[in-house]
Amino acid sequence: MVADPPVPESPATVRRRARLRAITLESRAPDRAAAWYREALGLSDDAPLLTVGGVELRFTLATCDAPSAVEPARIVLNFHVDDIRAAEGRLIALEAVWARELERTRWGIIGTVLDVDGNYVQIVEPAPDSPPCLQRNEEHR
Amino acid sequence: MATPTLGSILLGTAQPDRLRDWYAAALAPDDPAGGFTEVTPTMFAGTFGDTSLLIDGRSDVAGENPEPGRVVLNFHVDDAHATADHLKGLGVTWLVELEEREGGLFGTLVDPDGNYVQIIQLGQGSAPT
Repeated sequence: MVADPPVPESPATVRRRARLRAITLESRAPDRAAAWYREALGLSDDAPLLTVGGVELRFTLATCDAPSAVEPARIVLNFHVDDIRAAEGRLIALEAVWARELERTRWGIIGTVLDVDGNYVQIVEPAPDSPPCLQRNEEHR
Repeated sequence: MATPTLGSILLGTAQPDRLRDWYAAALAPDDPAGGFTEVTPTMFAGTFGDTSLLIDGRSDVAGENPEPGRVVLNFHVDDAHATADHLKGLGVTWLVELEEREGGLFGTLVDPDGNYVQIIQLGQGSAPT
């Protein structure tokens, strides 16, 4: 059986192709939330933007009533790391609340904590044989 | 030790097929076929630039996001007007239609789960002050 040839993309599809470049997180204390992510991810204090692998994390003052996320599983940020134990150590030093301690899964080693606003944040050391879309992107470190 | 990357953003949903179809139609993932990869029967992955969107069927979220402003996904596009026209053709729900703001063109739409999605084309609005 011969595979079908790839279908050329239309110029219109290419033109509207979207890149996920930023995540905006509401917080009752945006500065504290940004500081937490810098510490948790081991990022420098010097950079004006909090950028993680080509995606910027932005923090704005919360307008919602609940102090903590009502449905933390609704949107989860998955941070890929090459040293899961070092990442775990940073979170322990921050006294982060663990929703799921480090666990080996078919996708790699994964742990889940709550950020200061109750959102789920996962650290992931991808398994070598996990699907490409779940692998660590090294191009924009 | 390398700096962490934002490998993916997981959207928990009660209706993964519906959400996958919406993002595939609305925002054109990088896959040449314009679609998502099936990771499991209830989890789909689509790449949008430097990160992926994981759409995960879950039982611990309701049909609609009770706090849509808590986390907003910001997608950058090269031609916001063309994207907006395309989205209008799909009949999407707009929270704020495409408008010129400081620094570019911005529009905010609502996905079928009620999540807020912003489309941005930088450099097309008034110059930043």
